Amino acid sequence: MTGRTVAKHARFYMGGYDLSGYARTFGPLVWTYDEQGEAALSDEIKNYLPGHPTVSVGQLNGFFDNTATSGLHVVASTAGVIRTVMAPIGMRAAPAAGDPVWGGQYTQLGYQSTGEGLVGVNIPFGGWDNSGTTEAYDQPWGVLLHAKGAETAASTTTGAGIDTAGGQTTKGGYMIYQVFTGTGAVTISIDDSSDDSSYGALTDATIAIADASTPQAGIVALGKTDTVEQYLRWQIAAGGGFSTVTFALAFVRGR
Amino acid sequence: MTAQTGRTVEKWTTFKIDDSGDTLRTVTGVKSINGVGLTYDEMDVTALADALKNVLPGHPDLSITVVGKFDTTALTGFHTVFSGINGVNTPLSLDIQIGMRHAWESGEPQFGITSSATSGMICTSYVVDVNASEATATLKVMGPTAPAWGTLVET
Repeated sequence: MTGRTVAKHARFYMGGYDLSGYARTFGPLVWTYDEQGEAALSDEIKNYLPGHPTVSVGQLNGFFDNTATSGLHVVASTAGVIRTVMAPIGMRAAPAAGDPVWGGQYTQLGYQSTGEGLVGVNIPFGGWDNSGTTEAYDQPWGVLLHAKGAETAASTTTGAGIDTAGGQTTKGGYMIYQVFTGTGAVTISIDDSSDDSSYGALTDATIAIADASTPQAGIVALGKTDTVEQYLRWQIAAGGGFSTVTFALAFVRGR
Repeated sequence: MTAQTGRTVEKWTTFKIDDSGDTLRTVTGVKSINGVGLTYDEMDVTALADALKNVLPGHPDLSITVVGKFDTTALTGFHTVFSGINGVNTPLSLDIQIGMRHAWESGEPQFGITSSATSGMICTSYVVDVNASEATATLKVMGPTAPAWGTLVET
């Protein structure tokens, strides 16, 4: 769907964990460029060019919860590490393919219990992490290709794709994924198409998951001048011992 | 109806800006627009012998802040438009039209600029407040030409 929405349809995924059930708020989602500029003597007005952007996922405020394996305290109590974050924004419903997604790799700067009464947690994030693979790209907003959900079989060749651009682009992009749970090995990839009918594998947009039972997340960057056709769709290929995988997948198109 | 004069209310204001494909879009979901108009540096040029402090206007500056709902409407939604133009080094046309107690028409006040290859607006920030399902965009001038108040559409 397109249009407007409210916060209850947003989700927060980090490192292969869906933290939406523990989160109360997150953000602000900052994407702000340095304003480099000054007016020449004869210019009518001060004027600027965009410099480096600051990209930050802000802070996550949630419940102090030590539920085994998945609780926020269990997942996020170690600060100072790199986190791969996806925040899909559902449009008046739970996030679905085609909805906008904020993504990126950020350093978790802290973990502090807060508040009175119900004990909460505040998790501040830093800017874009230097050790990430996407420094060639300056934008964090992409499109959800596969909403969080389970797949139990390899993809067929049918199925509609998502129009993520309105046309072909030649400036690469990156895929971002979260694998929440599963069994066995699986390869997650993206196909592209110019007509939403004839699809081929999008070069480099693939990740082999050796063991889907381990929560994991990451970013796979394409070359900066790679061609990406108008329509995109997710694909999975079964590996050894595969029976199911629950994952979310998004793509950020370069510009 | 012909162009009217007098006072008005905000519901007759229309915000238009180029999208990433250089097409002027009437953005949907806009809630408020602040900073519409130039503000000049005040340069003190007082000499010892002057009877009072005196000033001259320096360069003007312009920083427009637009707040809107997180709106993904195809082509015109606030998120659709601003997520596509933030940080892009292409001058954009801007047309903020203030209708006088009815939908704006030629002859009524507007503020903006028709972009050229070297002058126009740029978007330097796009920040989303997920909890309010709102976003804030900041617009600055690129190039030597100042936007201005007028009464004719920008293109």
